[in-house]
Parts: sequence; C-alpha cells; structure tokens
Amino acid sequence: MRKIRLAIAGLTACSGCQLSLLNCEDELPELVERFEFSFFPLACSPAELTGEYDAAMVEGCLSMPHEKELLLELRARSRYLIALGTCAVWGGIATLRNGENREQLRQLVYGQNPVADATFDPKSLKDLVQVDAGIVGCPPETAELLRLLAGLLRGALPEAIDYPVCTECNMREKLCLLLGQNKICLGLLTSGGCGAKCPSLSVPCEGCRGPALETNLEESFDVYARHGFDRLAVRGRLRRFCPEWLL
Amino acid sequence: MVARFLEISNLKALLNLLRQRGPVHGPLRGADGVVRFASLTRGVLPDLSASRTMLPPKKYLLYPRERILTYTDHEGYRVPAEPGLPLILFGVHPCDLAGVNYLDKIFLGDDPDPLYSARRARLILVGSSCIPDRFCSCHASPSPLQALSDLFLHTVDGGFILTSESACGDELLARMQSVLEECTMDVPEDTRRFFGSTDAVPVIAEPEATGPEWQECADHCLGCGACSVCCPTCSCFDVLEFGGLDGCSAERVRQWDNCLFKGHAQVAGGLSFRKDRAERFRYRYWHKYGGFGPLRDVVSCVGCGRCRVACPTGIDLRQLAGQLDKGGK
Repeated sequence: MRKIRLAIAGLTACSGCQLSLLNCEDELPELVERFEFSFFPLACSPAELTGEYDAAMVEGCLSMPHEKELLLELRARSRYLIALGTCAVWGGIATLRNGENREQLRQLVYGQNPVADATFDPKSLKDLVQVDAGIVGCPPETAELLRLLAGLLRGALPEAIDYPVCTECNMREKLCLLLGQNKICLGLLTSGGCGAKCPSLSVPCEGCRGPALETNLEESFDVYARHGFDRLAVRGRLRRFCPEWLL
Repeated sequence: MVARFLEISNLKALLNLLRQRGPVHGPLRGADGVVRFASLTRGVLPDLSASRTMLPPKKYLLYPRERILTYTDHEGYRVPAEPGLPLILFGVHPCDLAGVNYLDKIFLGDDPDPLYSARRARLILVGSSCIPDRFCSCHASPSPLQALSDLFLHTVDGGFILTSESACGDELLARMQSVLEECTMDVPEDTRRFFGSTDAVPVIAEPEATGPEWQECADHCLGCGACSVCCPTCSCFDVLEFGGLDGCSAERVRQWDNCLFKGHAQVAGGLSFRKDRAERFRYRYWHKYGGFGPLRDVVSCVGCGRCRVACPTGIDLRQLAGQLDKGGK
C-alpha cells in the first residue's frame, strides 16, 4: 500500500493538538508504516515543503502574514486540508481580544521589540482557504485523531458530530451540573464527541469543542437564566473558544 | 392465595442467594444523588424507594456505543463474542419491564439482533412494585405492552410478597425457601395492572404536519438528546464504520441516536427527510404514539416519566398527546 503523504503544521497555537498526535506512542510505529510525515516541523527537521500532499493537517489560527503564506501553500499542495483542533476550526483562545487595538495589545506584550509588528486579528483557517474537514477540541481526543488518520488511509474524511456534550453526559448517567448544581456548564451548546470528559468529572463544560451542529440559543439562554446566569456571563464563556458566538 | 413473604431484614440474605446465580444489579443512589442501576455488591442494599433510575434497563441490552461487527481481510465480518453469564436486574419497576417488552418486540422479532438476543437471554428480571410520583403516567392509558419479570416483589408492611412469573422465577423461589415464609395474604394491586391490556387499542390518527404544536415544541427544544437517552423504549441508533490503522481491519459501531438530531434523517449527499426540528418533533410524536411497521398502534410510552424529568425546558409529549387527542383527531 502506498504511504499517505502528510504535512502537519502549526500556526498561532500552543502545539497541543500536534502533541496529542505525538502522544499516541502505542500507535506511532504503525503510523510511520502507513504515513509519510513529509512536513512536520514540530517533530522532524529539516522541514521543507516538497511536492504534493494527500492531506495537510493544520493546527492553530492565522495571526501573522507568514502564516497566511504557509496556509495558502499547504492548500495549493494538498488534496485535503484538515483543521486540527478548535483554534483551526473556530479561531480559539487567540481570538479573545479580537476587535481591540492591535498596536496597543502588541506593545502591552512585546514593548518596543519588533517581533510581532505585523500581527492581525486572529482568524480561523476557513477565513482564508477552503477547509475540507476538521476535528475540534482543545486538544482533540486522541481516538478522534487516530480515526481521522485511519480514514485518510481510505480517502475518507471524518463524519460530522450532530450531538452536543449533554447527550454523552446523559449516556454516562452523570448528574447535570447546570440543572442539578447550578453550575455554568456549556454542554448544551457545545459539540459532543469528547465523551463528556469534563462534566463526567464534575467539572463544568468550558465549551472547548466549539458550537454544536445545531443549537437553540434563545431557549438555552432562558435555561441559563433560570439557573442564575445572565446572557453576558454565558456569552463571555462561549466566546472563549469561538468568536463566532457573536450573539 | 398462598404467598411467599420475605421479611425486610432478610433482603440481604435474599440478595446473597440471588448472587449464587450471577451478579446482581439494582437501583443505587450515588453520592451525587443520582439513582442508577449499578452493581449491588455484597452487603449493599438497593434503593427500592427511588421513583426511577436515570437510565432505564435498556443500557444492559443496547450499550450507548458498542462494536457490533469487526472486520479483517482474512476473516471478513464477525459478530463480537458476548459473554453468556447471567445478570440479575433487581428492583425493576413495571414501566421498565414493559419497556423491555417493547425492545424485545423490536430486537427479538422477525430478524433478531444477535447481541441483544444474547444479552436478553442472560438477563433475569426481578420486578418490584412502586408508587407513581407526579412525573409518572403509567396510569394514563392501558398499554398492551406486558410488564413481565421472572420474579416480582410487592412491597407490603414489614417486607415483600414474592411471586414467580417464569420457570426461572420458580427455580429462584425454590432456592430461597430458607428466607421465605408461606402465608395467606392477598397480593396487593400494583402498577402492572396498567400493562398487558387486551382491550382494543384506540387508534391514534396521524397528526397533521402543519399543526402549530410542532413548531412550539421545536422552539423549546435544545436538541440535547436527553429525552431519547433516558427513554426505556427509544432505540434508534446510528451505525458507523471505522477502518483500522493497519489498513486491513475495521469495526462497525452502533450508537444511540435521537430523532431530533440533524443526522437522524440525513442520507447520502447530505439530503434530509426532516430538515427542521418541527418536522422531527412530529416524527418523534408519531413514532411514540402511532408506531411503525409491526408495532403500528402500540403506544411505546410506558409512562416512566424520565423524559419529563430530564428535559431542561420541560417539554412533555404526554401532555401533547392528550391535547391532540382532545382535539378530536
């Protein structure tokens, strides 16, 4: 079987999604059998873009000019462009201060150092290029990552997840943190697929997987309001991982 | 009639005798206050006063997410092996027994599901009487579904009256002679009387597609899936196939689905039979109260009240059924 040629890159992000892949130690020997990790700067050097790729998997959001160039280059060279993790799919945490004065923000962080003089409001990948598929999460579940790769072996892209975190929380027979404990849990509005990892450990969902495929915002706000959380509180939480919750 | 009486202090001894047949699971209240069917290890008593468990016995027959087939290039598709050890489910209320009866009709019917069949064959059901609370609606209308168990415990003053309803139940009773007392006592009525009705079923007319009620439900629905997850008779599932990393193996997975999700009626090419949630609500109602195929006219709501407890916005299909019925349809 021909090896699948991959490019794996990170833009503005913490590299956590790429690390999740490297953390699949048990599967790594199998992975190198099936895949050619042709461009993967985090894991192997030298890293140079060469030829075409079956898939490019990109972590992080766009916030600097050279990232735009890299993404366009990857898009042009790849059959599939796959957004890896919530930052790539939705923008993520780096977008928290979008809309504020960039120069002031830059000076606040870097002072007079010219290192970040050309940043712009961070955006998700789909703002620049066509994205063929994505897996969400901060970081994505390793099982999802491995399923994504196994799918690529067959030319398949991951199935959309159509249920929120609440569904899996209920399946696991866990106490509802919102209804039962008046905690601000975002499971109602957040895409499932994580197995309700946080709420099942009594930690309210932070919404790290971004919006569920279908949501009912107005009614959800009413439910949150009945449990003591106004729109502003819920909105603040929601936007932490996804600026598209403009509301 | 001659009944067999179990003094409440002998409940532990009875459970120990049951354990000789296999692991016993029953309703247990966790530290978080949630009541679940869970393993009753030695010395642990079930919470027989709880109105309902969060999930129904369905979880022992169809797992929320499970592998139903494995594939390898040299062996083709195979059904995974299912252990044959008996499992005793203790303290099952009549509505949940009727729920199992409904699932049996679907999964043991003309094309039996191998995994369900194997699990059902090893499941020993010990029913128990209950007191309906404000969420229950077993009494709302007589159901043709049967509340069948192997053994049944009626709560009476100071203990329980045990009755057997199957050969397996007879065998269990015989083993339990040491902890039972024979006495003459009328077996009290219990909520099983709302099930197993042989009366002609009032036929529910197909609800109009354009009624305002569907949009009203849709407006309130958050799409969280809680209603179907907790329903003893909801058994719609999704089937997914995942290839292995070796390139020559695969697994086919079945997971609980909900008719209010986008993917439920979606087919190849992204087309959908029920694009908006109002349509999906009508479908949900019509499946529950009208029934499809061989189960046409079998109302599959057993009145356990779980969906009414679980819905974050208080959507109540029972109430809607009442309204539509009064509407002279």
